[in-house]
Amino acid sequence: MSYEPKIVGFLCNWCSYTGADLAGTSRIQYPPNIRVIRVMCTARIDPTFVVDALAKGADGVLICGCHPGDCHYSEGNYKAMRRFPLLKRLLKSYGIEDERVRLEWVSASEGQRFADVVTDMTERVRGLGPSRVHATLLTDQRER
Amino acid sequence: MQNCRIGVYVCNCGTNIAHIVDAEAVKEAVSKLPDVTIARSYRYMCSNPGQEMIVKDIQELGLNRVVVAACSPRMHERTFRNACKTGGINPYLCEMANIREQCSWVHVADKLAATEKALALTNAAINRVRYHEPLDPLTAEMCPTTLVLGGGIAGLTAALELAMAGHPVYLVEKSDHLGGNLARVDLTAPYLDSARDLLTERLVRLRQNPNISVMLNSQLKDLTGFVGNYSATVATHNGHELPQEKTLHVGNVIVATGYKEFDASRITHYGYGKLPDVITSFEFEEMLRAGRIQLKSGRPPQYVAIIHCVGSRSKEFHAYCSRVCCMTALKYAHEIKSALPDCYVSDVYIDMHAFGKGHEDFYKKSSEVKTLFLMYGKNERPVIRKAGPGDDCQMLIEVDEKLSGERIEIPADMVILMVGMEARPDAGEVARLVNISADKDGWFIESHPKLDPVATTTDGIYIAGTCVAPKDIPDTVAQARAAAGRILAKIAKGKIEIEGVFAEVNEDLCSGCRMCNELCPYSAIVFDEVKKRSHVIPAACKACGACVAACPSGAIKGRHFTDQQIYAQIEGVLA
Repeated sequence: MSYEPKIVGFLCNWCSYTGADLAGTSRIQYPPNIRVIRVMCTARIDPTFVVDALAKGADGVLICGCHPGDCHYSEGNYKAMRRFPLLKRLLKSYGIEDERVRLEWVSASEGQRFADVVTDMTERVRGLGPSRVHATLLTDQRER
Repeated sequence: MQNCRIGVYVCNCGTNIAHIVDAEAVKEAVSKLPDVTIARSYRYMCSNPGQEMIVKDIQELGLNRVVVAACSPRMHERTFRNACKTGGINPYLCEMANIREQCSWVHVADKLAATEKALALTNAAINRVRYHEPLDPLTAEMCPTTLVLGGGIAGLTAALELAMAGHPVYLVEKSDHLGGNLARVDLTAPYLDSARDLLTERLVRLRQNPNISVMLNSQLKDLTGFVGNYSATVATHNGHELPQEKTLHVGNVIVATGYKEFDASRITHYGYGKLPDVITSFEFEEMLRAGRIQLKSGRPPQYVAIIHCVGSRSKEFHAYCSRVCCMTALKYAHEIKSALPDCYVSDVYIDMHAFGKGHEDFYKKSSEVKTLFLMYGKNERPVIRKAGPGDDCQMLIEVDEKLSGERIEIPADMVILMVGMEARPDAGEVARLVNISADKDGWFIESHPKLDPVATTTDGIYIAGTCVAPKDIPDTVAQARAAAGRILAKIAKGKIEIEGVFAEVNEDLCSGCRMCNELCPYSAIVFDEVKKRSHVIPAACKACGACVAACPSGAIKGRHFTDQQIYAQIEGVLA
């Protein structure tokens, strides 16, 4: 059987989750690999959520929030934006490929953009092949 | 975690879900999961029988958690929370899985994968709901005093409306007088009644009303608190002395800070500021108010040309229409013709926007007073140049006239530039102070452009008039009264109910580092100097969760979006 990547999405309620809903009402099609978890704001996304998702078997993690300047809570997305490079640096040091974790801005009116981002991300993660994080952790546990 | 008895309901949404997702299979699969007392699949969960099914199961099977796999929670979360409430359990013990907007509708071609995804999402919701806790709304007092920012027609109207209902109002105006931009206008279109009369009526009633405190030369400096209980710092300038600051306790705020006119000198080839008799519409209003239409030389003009859309409807400046200039230009034609019957008036426009009540009649009437109408293309602005010694006018205007398709040259002694409206340069600063948003043009953003046009995304902050977008006097007044009406309804209720979702600090874990104090966009977290711990003011918290993710001690819990709930969800989608 061919490999189907598992992607966890963390979407902010006000822009991106609404944008994803709009993709639905507009019947814009995209790959079914993404599983969305709704948070009120991208600022709520603790970097450990991303690490946890990878540890539990996600092949990719997509974070989507309001465009800079459009945050419902004025600047929560800037907070997410500033945390993100630190998280990426950490993931890199563990050998996790850059393209597995992505931060994108999707507004409530950008259903098409959400579909495009998910399609692109799914294809890239598919290209990388399965993440080794989950399997490595399992082996480690067994050896211990 | 108490002993969970979960009811899971998989909605078919007619065929919207069930045509793609195998709802029966999802139901079968989840019915085998631990803690799932009952799993059902039904045609329309949001229908009355669907909701009653939940109510009945809660009562008969003793459910204490409910999961509905259906449409987006943005659609029906409230519906199912209410069903839980009717059934006798706390409404927050409910969770939805979005298997329509984010599943069946977007994966039409792959039924198997869509079903698998629907199962994963439902599984995540079941995982999450185990950690849900009952939450109760809070109530807070509603201070009946309102702060109105801006003393133009919008602010005056809103203030009067509130004061006449018997509630105190602070009317804060930046300049040294009330009336705003309307005070600079002579007559108003289309009924030609005087702006001065409109304003005088408002001002007289305002002065007679003891509930209104007018603060001139004043500006908002700071706003803290939350709906019903804001604390506003207002600075008043008195001559050369240092500004005096006053703190006001208010329940709501109406922002009615108005607009600024477009700077005509930005379109250099119209020669504004260089050619003496090229003037803006506001400068012409001044002449009308003084009762003398004359050139810089003191002579009355023989030819007047009015150019529309100066700064509006253009790629380089503002793409939007300023809405009032077309009718104002027609009004000028009227006023010029009645003062100087021999004067030739030409009206150079892109499109004539006569959209309002009485406007089309007014346009017709203006055509009858012998005004020459010339239409120019959006991207082919008329060219103004100085006339030669042989001409009987000062300037010549060349127009690529669209209707005739010819290049027409018209004489002009005076050119009136119909300058559009733009957001005030300090709009961004005001937006930041009251925590609302402005769009790319600087206009304040409504809570909903159609259904909620005077509220904002911040509770207790309302917007009215031309700070929202260009609009005429009737629309401005309607908005001002609407904003006041919204506030009156809240004051009448007396207390405000605040959702039970907010952040809370565990004082045993808090190290007192105060990182969260700075991070909170609502200043909802305060530091207790005695205990050396931070705590959240629930009514001020909007539950964004920024502090929860940032707390280095993990001392802050985001109610209804707890770490546990999210981890359980992550595990659920990946199972």
